[in-house]
Order: sequence, then C-alpha cells, then structure tokens
Amino acid sequence: MQQQEIANQYTTPVGTSFSASDSAVAPRFIEGDGERRADSMTINMGPQHPSTHGVLRLILTIEGETVVKTVPDIGFLHTGIEKIAEAKTYHQALVLTDRMDYLAPLCNNLGYALAIEKLLDIEDEITDKIKYVRVILAELQRIASHLVWLGTHTLDLGAMSVFLYCFREREMLLDIFEYISGVRLMTSYICPGGLQAEVPKGFDAKVREFTKIFPARLQEYHDLITNNQLWLERTKGVGYLSKEDALAYGVSGPTLRGSGVVWDIRKVFPYSGYEQFDFDIPVGSNGDVYDRYLVRMLEMEQSLKIVNQALDGMPTGAYRVSNPKVAPPPKWQITGSMEGLIHHFKLFTEGYRPPKGEVFTRTESPKGELGYYIVSDGSAKPYRMHVRAPSFANLEALPRMIEGSFLSDVVAAIGSIDIVLGEVDR
Amino acid sequence: MVITAASTVETVQKRFPQAVIEAVDFRDEQTLVLRPESLVDVCTYLKKSLQYDLLETVTAVDWLERVPRYDVIYQLLSMPNQCYVRLKLRVGERREEHPAVPSVTGVWAGANWYEREVYDLFGITFIGHPDLRRILMPMDWTTHPLRKDYPLNGFDLPEPHWGGQVPYTIDPGVGQQTLRTPQGRTLDERREKVNPNQEPGTLKEDTQNT
Repeated sequence: MQQQEIANQYTTPVGTSFSASDSAVAPRFIEGDGERRADSMTINMGPQHPSTHGVLRLILTIEGETVVKTVPDIGFLHTGIEKIAEAKTYHQALVLTDRMDYLAPLCNNLGYALAIEKLLDIEDEITDKIKYVRVILAELQRIASHLVWLGTHTLDLGAMSVFLYCFREREMLLDIFEYISGVRLMTSYICPGGLQAEVPKGFDAKVREFTKIFPARLQEYHDLITNNQLWLERTKGVGYLSKEDALAYGVSGPTLRGSGVVWDIRKVFPYSGYEQFDFDIPVGSNGDVYDRYLVRMLEMEQSLKIVNQALDGMPTGAYRVSNPKVAPPPKWQITGSMEGLIHHFKLFTEGYRPPKGEVFTRTESPKGELGYYIVSDGSAKPYRMHVRAPSFANLEALPRMIEGSFLSDVVAAIGSIDIVLGEVDR
Repeated sequence: MVITAASTVETVQKRFPQAVIEAVDFRDEQTLVLRPESLVDVCTYLKKSLQYDLLETVTAVDWLERVPRYDVIYQLLSMPNQCYVRLKLRVGERREEHPAVPSVTGVWAGANWYEREVYDLFGITFIGHPDLRRILMPMDWTTHPLRKDYPLNGFDLPEPHWGGQVPYTIDPGVGQQTLRTPQGRTLDERREKVNPNQEPGTLKEDTQNT
C-alpha cells in the first residue's frame, strides 16, 4: 500500500563490507520525487518544541496538511547512563536509574532493585513489608506519572486548565515521597536489598489523605475531558496503531493495551507481591488516541485500588534484608559491633560482588515494559547494564501512527504514547 | 503441548542442532548461544512456530579481552505462552573493527531501532538492515562509545566546534614563529599536536576527504 512504498524509498541498503570511512551520512530526503506532489515540504519539528514532550526532533514531510513521512531523530538527551553505570558500584548505579524515566523514578529503581536481587539470589529474603511498600510506592508513582501525562497531553491539545489540576494532585504525591525519602523526585528509595530507610510513622496517614481525595479529583478530570465534544473530535480515530503493528514494534504498556492486547506484566509475571492484589487491567479496542487516554485514566483508578489494599494489609517487618553482605547493617552497629563496622566499610568502599552471570528482569512501568539487562563478571561494578526503555520501542511505532494523518494529529499521537526522552536516549 | 522456555531450548536444539553452540540456564533464565549465520532461521522459526512474537530488546556486550569480542543479545517474549528466552551470538572472531551480524528486521520490525543503537554504540553492523545509521550519537561521530576502550570521559572536541580560536594555554613558542621544521611550530597546525586528546577522525583534513 502507499505507506509502504513511501517507507521503502527511504532505505539505504547496507552491503556486507562496511568500513570505518563510510561514516554515517545525514538523512537524504528525496525532493520532487515522482510519487509526491511538487509542493511537499520537509519541515522540522525541532528538538525545542512545546509539544514534543522533551527533546525529540521529528523530520516531517508534509503535503498540504497531511504528513506523508516522519523520521524521528533522537539522541539529544543521551547522557551515557549505561556507560557510566559500568564505572560505578551496584549501589552507586542506583542513582543513575532515577534519571532515565524522570517522571517515574521509583519505578526505575524498583526494576533495578529486582534485577540485582535476582542476580544476587536474595529474592527469598525480601520481606513482605518491603514488597508492600514497594508496591504502594510504585503505584503512587504510576499515578504521578499519569498525572503528568494527562496534564501535558491535554495542554498540547488545548485543554489548558487540566494541567494545573493534575499538578495540584501531583504535589501531594511528591510530598509523600519527600516524607519518606527526603527527595521529591529522584528518590532512589527502593534499592537492592530493600528500602534505603525505615518507612516513617506517618506514612499510612499521609497516603490515606491522598487516597481519600483522589477519586473525586479523578472524576473532575473525567467530567472535564472524557465526554467533551472537542476532545472526542481531536482524539477519536487519531493515531491508529493496529494490534499487529504494535506487536511487531515491541510496543508495551498503555499504548499496547489501547490497541486491544491484554498484556500487563504485573499480571503475567508478577513481581514484588503483585499476585496478592486484586486489580483489573483496562484494555482498549480501537487503538486510537482516545482509547489510550481512557486506558491510562482507568489505570489511575486501579492503582488507587491497589494502594488501598496494600495499606489495609500492610505487614510489619524489616525495611531491609538482614544479609550483611548485601545491605548495610543499621547505623548504630557501626559503633557497637566490629562486624557491623567491617561490613559497612566493605559495602561502601568496595560494594557487594554478585556471581558471574546475567539477568533480564521486566517490570510494568507507567510507560510500558521496563527491562534491565545486567551482566556481572564477578566484580563490584556491573559489567554491562542495558535498560530496555519502553518509550524507545513506543516511539519507534510513532511513524506508523501518524503517516497519512494531519499535522495536528502528530501532537495528539506523541502525547498519547507518553514518551519520556530521558528513557529513549538514556 | 505447552511451550515453556525450557521446552523452547530443547525444541530449537533438536531442530537446529548445528546452530546451537550451548544452552545456559542461570537463575531460571534460558539462554541459547547460536551461530551468527543461523540467526534469522532460528528467529523465524521461533516467531512463526513457537509464537515468540515480541522482541523485547537487542543489545550487545563488549568483552575486551576475549576473542569473539562482542556478545549480541536478543531477548524474546512469547505472549501466548507467557515465557521468555534469550539468544546470544558471539561475534568478532576475526578481530574485525565492525563485525557483521544478520539483521532480524525482517522478522520483527521493531528490531530496526535496536540494531541501529547497537551499531551506533558498539560498531556491530547488521546485514540487511534497511537503514543502518546512528541513532543516539550525532550523525558525524566516528567512534563507538559503549566499547570498553572508549574513555569514560570522552574526547575533547576540536577547536572549531568552540569558536575557532587556539586556546591561550598553548604556548606559541616565543622566538620560534619563523621556524618551519617539524620540531618547531609548523604552518599546518595538525590538531593532534595541539590537542593530543582529540577524537580520532574529526581532524579537519579527515572531514574534508569524505
């Protein structure tokens, strides 16, 4: 079909010999081509743009108002996190993981912690208390991330007032994170071996404060947008991604569920105690922007349900694994016990050494399937840490969604995939 | 027949006996080490017959001291069977600068960007990839950052990127301005004498040749 022909024109077949002197050339845009109209323009939706949700550059070829071809150009936020992680110990590399998906740092931390715990084989030592707190924090983080998504998505499409309401709720969540860890955003609170610090006593009350008011607020957002005629016209039928395309591109998360695939890692490969909680997975059917919007709105409701269940059933226990080879002993032992002092010293100067091997763990982050591939060579630093970022694969499907639609639909589609460039570029 | 990761490994070993070098089981995760030339066949079989429909990631590991220098890793997920398996290729036996691996973009379209990322950061080329160019680094970067011999702090960029001035810290050599010998200050100031830490391949004359 026509889309395929257009895509085929932008192919540079690579031969078997590829030497260092064939340095990468700039993308070649064929102008005045027989297939295209003479007035087709190539425009740049540059890295600095209020609607690209970060530093994303799209090179769009448009004819009139229709987008004929899109080439995303990424890499503006590439900070070499995977390279730096090779130079840090496992505990130090935790801080790097916050910064990838910077709207859901606790979820990144959780994925990393699960990967290292699997590598160290201490999964059985993680107490229920740790699991429940991790689940609560991950779900609160999911709500926070979806609130940013909602605020910015509606802002792009013109419904500007929703933005401030979402951030009002997000402030409450950031206050909760600050209460437990001291940091609003880059908490690094969930670490391999448990949590960084004991959960303070007022945590339950603070979270219940939030869960009490949030359903009404969520209803406010529904009232403002869900059946709004303008919203329906902007989002229904826009940015269509079929099931087959979504699976071919490795799309995951709400973007995949909006296209009708029932897949949530929390249900299929449950981690950190998710099997004990009762929650539903919203799945769309049309694969358009509106369905993805509804999926995320309903997901916020389900997250709240999980948080309530976890708060009601919160067990008591240690906040950290009691294995001194992995988790630093409590601070008071430094002055009291020689072993405590030595373990503390060794853990913070040298770090723990997992056995040689590799693991790949996957978690359901608000954006999709977040995977950590960690290779250990027996030393105290990860030999290779690769992060399977959900936004990377989701963004790859963007051209499929918008080729053939209008320029204004590009903005709607980018917002609906909910990309975070920190994750895409790492 | 229920398909699990372990049964997948057995099935592949039975069906492609010459392709599988070894099968590793670590922490309940199955890894199949394959020969590079049989990659596309095995992947097509896994996708069509065993329903491994999601390619989660393609990445690489650089083992600097080992002779097949790189490991290329494919992580596959089967949604109907709810299992996952890892494929590994060991490439680079001939110590070549840009080892070549067949591309799986024909099997999973999503491999496109992942293989571009591996090319960009490691220098491993993919035969049959429709559009192999850099994705994260700038387009004219000539080296591959995630290799183990690439310095963590990077290279200094050549002066023209910063305004075209010779920095004040370079001593012009008072009294030697008229010397044209290699020992003194020569007319064509090759930047590597000025700045030995410069990114190779970004000298002005190199860019003028392409």
